[in-house]
Formats: sequence, structure tokens, C-alpha cells
Amino acid sequence: MDNNYLWDRSGEIDRDIQELEETLGTLRYQPQPLRIPTSLQIGRRRSLYPLMAIAAAIALLAVALGLWFAFKQHQVTPPVEVRRDEQPALKLIEKQQPQPKREPQQALVNPSSKPTVIQKRHREPARNLLASYKVRPPAPPQLTPAELAEREQVLVALRLVSAKLNVAQRKTQGLPAPNSIRNQHKIG
Amino acid sequence: MFEAEATADVFLMTQPLSASQSAEPSVEAKLIEAVLNGERDRFARLYEMYAPMVHGILLARVPRAEVDDLVQDIFLHALRKLHTLRNAAAFGVWLAMITRNRALDFYRSSRKTVEVTEKIAEAKSPNRTAMEILDLICSLPEAYRETLVLRFVEGMTGPEIASRTGLTAASVRVNLHRGVKLLRERMGVVSEPRPAGIAGG
Repeated sequence: MDNNYLWDRSGEIDRDIQELEETLGTLRYQPQPLRIPTSLQIGRRRSLYPLMAIAAAIALLAVALGLWFAFKQHQVTPPVEVRRDEQPALKLIEKQQPQPKREPQQALVNPSSKPTVIQKRHREPARNLLASYKVRPPAPPQLTPAELAEREQVLVALRLVSAKLNVAQRKTQGLPAPNSIRNQHKIG
Repeated sequence: MFEAEATADVFLMTQPLSASQSAEPSVEAKLIEAVLNGERDRFARLYEMYAPMVHGILLARVPRAEVDDLVQDIFLHALRKLHTLRNAAAFGVWLAMITRNRALDFYRSSRKTVEVTEKIAEAKSPNRTAMEILDLICSLPEAYRETLVLRFVEGMTGPEIASRTGLTAASVRVNLHRGVKLLRERMGVVSEPRPAGIAGG
């Protein structure tokens, strides 16, 4: 028996195998057309486009949220209060001295006294700077110790007079003393 | 990964799919792609290519009268589910699996049993009809049944059976030799001693 004939019909023909082939070959598949109904729906492969669209939307949303938070933080940052006697401003001015554009501002500074009128340059918006200038109180006048002692004496005398006038007014109007407790019945 | 695939190949006796994946797209892959793109007429070519295999697998399992209708059902089912096939090169393996499952479903639903009677097995008339021999084949263990039907009924060679069903060539060769030996015994034909150089599997 030649096994090659059984395997791939090559080599010496095996009579038994050939007889089996001829006999059983009568049962072989007879080609028939495939009847595909028109209503049959062929499934489609899942497209990746919807997933990609969702991923892109999520990415865009993340970027938009990031930008919004960054913008909001930038807005919430308090305005930097500009003080004329700030030391870093001096350093900044010194660093910026070589620039010719700084010269007009430096002319405002009195070189003999403390550098008080110096505008600090920073990256904050101009409107914040303006707001801080509006809120800032005026600088107190410089007084000598003798002047300060005189001012204290005047203030004490004014307070004494004011208190005496108050007492006199209450006596003329028949009002109780200012330290007495009034309207106790309402409290209870 | 490769180890797992190799282990699966050993147990299932199937060809590794990576071999077919590395080559350029097969005819089956192109046809499947066309069908999925709306050219449903191209499925007729796949039907022509694989109908004998489906017919043979069914013939080894269900009554012959039911085979033709089941072939149609199986191909329509395959057409409906074609989009679920991930590897187009494995179409034959996938279709063979559908066919085997459909044959099992046939018996589950109809509760019919096909008896391969002892009378047939014991009959030793030299002029056997094709149906009698087919019944004898169906009385063999399942592993040999399908291979013998594809070889003798459908006229496929061993390499063709291996490539269509996804079985390894070695498995098909073993099934053929052992199946023929058993068939000869049941038919009452004393097989000739094999040449020493040929391995039985």
C-alpha cells in the first residue's frame, strides 16, 4: 500500500483506496446556488470613527477646561501694590538704567533723598496698577519731635474740652450720665 | 504569547494562524473584505470554495437528507456573522467550527438519533453501496470520520483538508491512516502490511 496515494494521490495507485474514492464519490457535493434572501442583513464591522470622535471631544474639553482655569487664576491674582520705597524697584531701576527709554522716569527721582517716586514695572495689567494708586492713602507729613509733642498736647486739650461740653449738654437736657445703662426693660 | 499559541496548536491540532497572517492577504481575506464593503455577490465565491468542506463535515455527522439544507443554513449564518470574524485568513477554520456546532444543534433540536447498526457493520458483502460504506465511516471515532469523508467523498487531498479545516498536516495524515485501517477492519478487508519506512503517525 502506497501511503502517498492516500495522502495526495501521488505515487502508486492503491486499488482499495481508488475503489473507495469511486464508490463514495457518488455522494459528493453537487454544486447548488446559494440562495441569499434579500432581507438578510450583513453585519458591518464596528467603525473606529465614533470612538475617535468621542476621544477628540474629551481632549478638546480637557484643553478648554485647562485654559479656563488658567485664565481664572490669572484674574484672581491680587494686584501688586506698588510702593515707592520698595527696594526691589530700585534694583529694577538699576538694571534698567542702560536702556534709554528709562531716562525720563529717572529724572523724577531725587538723587539726594530716598528714592520714593519710583514706578515699579511688572507684568500686571495697567488697570490693577491704577486701582492700587487710587486706594493708597496720602503720605503723612514729616514732623519733628517737638512738633509732635505740641500736637499731642493740643489733641489732649481738645478731648478734654469735648468731654466737658458733652457733660454740660446732657445736664441741660436732663439726660442721664453717658455711662448709665438704659432700656433695661427692653432687653429682658 | 507564542508559547500559549503553540500549546493551543498542540491541543487543537490546528495550524498556527500567524503563518497565514504574515503572507499577503489571501483570496478569502479579499473576498471577505469585499463582502463587508457591500459586495454581497462575492460571497458566492467563498461558497463555491468551501461548500464541499461544509458538505463533508455535515455528511460525517448528520443524515444525508438533511445535509443540503444545512449547508445553505450554515452559509447564510456565516454571511450574517461575517463581521465578527477577526482574522479573515481563518475563515475555513471558523466555518468548520460553525458547521460542527450546527451539526450538534441539529441533534439537540430534533432529538433524532442515527443508529449505525451492527447489522451494517457486520455485513461483509464485497459489493457495498456508497451509503453502507458511509455508515461504516460514521461508526468510526469522530477524529477519523471527518477526515475520511473529506478525502473519499469530497475528493480532497490531505494538504487540502489541512488547509481548509485548519488541522495540521500531521494530524490529517494520522487520521487518514488510522481511519483507513479501522475502515478496512470493519469492512472485513485484511489490510496489507505497511512498508517499514512509512510512519503510522
